[in-house]
Amino acid sequence: MYQFTRFVAMRAVMAMLTLIIVSFIVFSLMEMVPGDCAERYLAFKNTQGSMISIADIEAERIRLGLDKPFMVRWLVWIWHAFQGDFGESCILRLNISQLLSDKFLISLGIALAALVLAYLIALPVGIISATSKSKVLNNTLRLVSYLGLALPNFLLALMIMLFSTVVYGNSLTGLFSPQMRDAPWSWDKAMDFLGHAWLPVFILGWSATAFAIQTVRALMSDEVGKLYVTAAKARGISGWRLLRRYPARHALGPIINSLGFDLNRIFNELPVVALILTLTEAGSLLIEALARSNDQQLAGAIIFLLTGSIVALNFATDVLLAIVDPRVRHSIMGGGK
Amino acid sequence: MTRLLTVENLTVQFDTTEGRITAVDDVSFSLDRGRVLGVVGESGSGKSVTAKALMKLNPGNAVYGGQSKITLHLDGGEVDVMALRKARDLRIVRGGAISMIFQEPMASFAPALTVGSQMVEQLLIHSDMSKKRAREISIEMLDRVGIPDPVRRFGQYAFELSGGMRQRAMIAMALSTHPKLLIADEPTTALDVTIQAQVIDLMKELVAEFHMGIIFITHDLGVIAQTADDIAVMYLGKIVETGPVRQVIRAPAHPYTRGLLAALPRLDDLDAPLTPIPGDIPSPLERPEGCVFHTRCGEIIGDVCRGQVPCFHAVGEGRAAACHLYDHNGEGSA
Repeated sequence: MYQFTRFVAMRAVMAMLTLIIVSFIVFSLMEMVPGDCAERYLAFKNTQGSMISIADIEAERIRLGLDKPFMVRWLVWIWHAFQGDFGESCILRLNISQLLSDKFLISLGIALAALVLAYLIALPVGIISATSKSKVLNNTLRLVSYLGLALPNFLLALMIMLFSTVVYGNSLTGLFSPQMRDAPWSWDKAMDFLGHAWLPVFILGWSATAFAIQTVRALMSDEVGKLYVTAAKARGISGWRLLRRYPARHALGPIINSLGFDLNRIFNELPVVALILTLTEAGSLLIEALARSNDQQLAGAIIFLLTGSIVALNFATDVLLAIVDPRVRHSIMGGGK
Repeated sequence: MTRLLTVENLTVQFDTTEGRITAVDDVSFSLDRGRVLGVVGESGSGKSVTAKALMKLNPGNAVYGGQSKITLHLDGGEVDVMALRKARDLRIVRGGAISMIFQEPMASFAPALTVGSQMVEQLLIHSDMSKKRAREISIEMLDRVGIPDPVRRFGQYAFELSGGMRQRAMIAMALSTHPKLLIADEPTTALDVTIQAQVIDLMKELVAEFHMGIIFITHDLGVIAQTADDIAVMYLGKIVETGPVRQVIRAPAHPYTRGLLAALPRLDDLDAPLTPIPGDIPSPLERPEGCVFHTRCGEIIGDVCRGQVPCFHAVGEGRAAACHLYDHNGEGSA
C-alpha cells in the first residue's frame, strides 16, 4: 500500500511537471505573437475613435505588468492559472474565468460523453466481432466502422442539420434554446441542455466509436488467440464467463491506455463540429481567439485548460492501469507487495 | 487392465485459405488406466492436434473425419467424445475426466489472475463444493506437488513464480479435479534440464498415486524413454510405429523411428557424426502419396512405397509398424 501511494504521488508530481512545462510552452507561444496586450487593446480602442498616445500604451503596459521580465510574468501567470485565475482577455477586457465560466466544463462534458458513448458501444461490439465467426456480422461491422473513420465529422454534422431542417424545419443548432441561453442553471436548463447536447455528442462519438471498435477488436483478437485462453477452455471454462475473465479482462489494460489519446482526438474535433452547430463552447472560443481576435490571453487559458484535462486523464488512466493489471503493479513496486 | 481411452480412425483436417490441410490422418490407438503413452514426432507431425482432439480443443476451422471415434471408458459408462456439443457436456473432457498441461506454463496461466483464483474457478466449475473447500483443496494440491509456502503462492500471479514452480502449479491445477486422463503436451520442453527431471519424477509419482492414464507428447526421445510405458511415433499425421517403449527404442522397426534415434546426439561417443534424417518435412499441402515417409526414407523398396499406404504389421510382442518392409509379416493390430 505504501508503494502504491508512492507510485500515485510520483505520477501526480510528473503530471504537475508536464503541466508546468506545457504552460511554459503555451506562455512562450503567447509571447511570440507580435505586439502585446497593451498595444492590441489600445489599437482596438483606436479603431473605436479614441486617440491613443505612446504614453497611454506605456501606462497600460505597467498596469498589466508587461514591463516585467518574461520569466517573472510566466511565474505570475502560472501561479494564478493554478488557482483558476487567467487574468483578463486582451480584447474583451473581461475576466477570462468569468468569460469561460461553464463553457469549458461544457466542452469537457461533451468530449467525455462522446468518449463514454464510444466505449459503451465499442466494448460489446468489439468483443462480439473479435470472437464471432459470422462473416456477415464482421463485414457489416467493418463497413460501419470504415464509414465512421472515413466520414468527416463536419460533413456528418452538416448532413444531420440539413436533414432536420428539411424534414422537421428545425435547425438543431446551439446548446440551449434561445430563451434558456442566459438563464441561470436550473433543472429546466439542464434538460434543455441535454436536449441539445446529444447531437454534438453523437457526432463526435460517431468517429470515436469507429476508432474504439477497431482498437477493442484488434486487442481482443490478439488475446483470444493466446495460450492461456485455450488452457482456460481446457479446464472447462466456457461462454461469457470465459470471455469476461480471460481475453476481455486482459485486453482492458491497453484499452485504458488508449483513453487519453481518444479524449485528445475528440477535443481536437470538437471546435470544427462546434463551429458548424454554432455551439458556444470553449473550442470555438479558442478558434475565435486564435484566428480572429488574436486574443493571446484567452487562447493561452483555453489551451492550458485543455492540456490540463488531458494530463489529468492520463494520470487517472495510469493509476487505473496499475489497479487493473498486476504486471504493471508488480513492475512499479519493484517486486514487493 | 482396464481400458481408459480408445481412439479409432481419427482424422482431423483444417480449412485454410490455401485449401484443406490434413493434420491427422486415420489414427487409432488406445490407452489403459495407470499407463503412460508417449507420443513422439517432429513439429507438424499432428501430435498436438491429436491430443487436442481428445478435448475437442482444436480451433473452429478444424474438420473431423466422419469415421473418427473417440471413446472414453469411465466408471459411469462410456463417453462418445465426438458427440459432445454443448459447453456443459464438454466439461467432461475439459477439466473433468481429462486435464491438459501445456508446453509453456507461463503462457498457460492468465497473467492478470492469481494462480489460486484460476484453481478455485476450475474446482467450482467441476463440482458443487464451497469456495472455502476449493481453496483448501487448491492449497493442498500446491503443497502436494512440492511448492513451498503454498498459501502465499496461492495468492500470487504466474509471473511471480519460477519456471519450475509454474509447471508444478500447472500440474497441481490439472490434477486437482482428479482427472482419469492427463495429457501433457511437451510439459518439460521449456524447462531447464534439472527442473525437467524433477517435473518428470513428480508426474510419474502422481500417475501411480492417482492411477491415471497419461498421454505424454514430446519430440524428445530421451524424455519418453524415462517416462512412458508405450510409445507411438507420429509422422505427418500418421502413427508409423507403436509398441512398448524399451523394445521400440532398442530395436526400432520403422525407418523413421530408426532415423529419429540415429539423429540423437550421443554423449558416450562425442566424435560420432550426427546423422539427421535427410530432407525436410513436406508441406502439409503436399502430402506424399502412398507411404507419407517415402520422400525421406533411406530404405525405400520401390513403387509400392510411392503408391500404397502401408498397413500395420506385427513386428514383435505388442509392437506394430506401418511399413512395406514388413508386408510379409501379416497384419498386426492397428
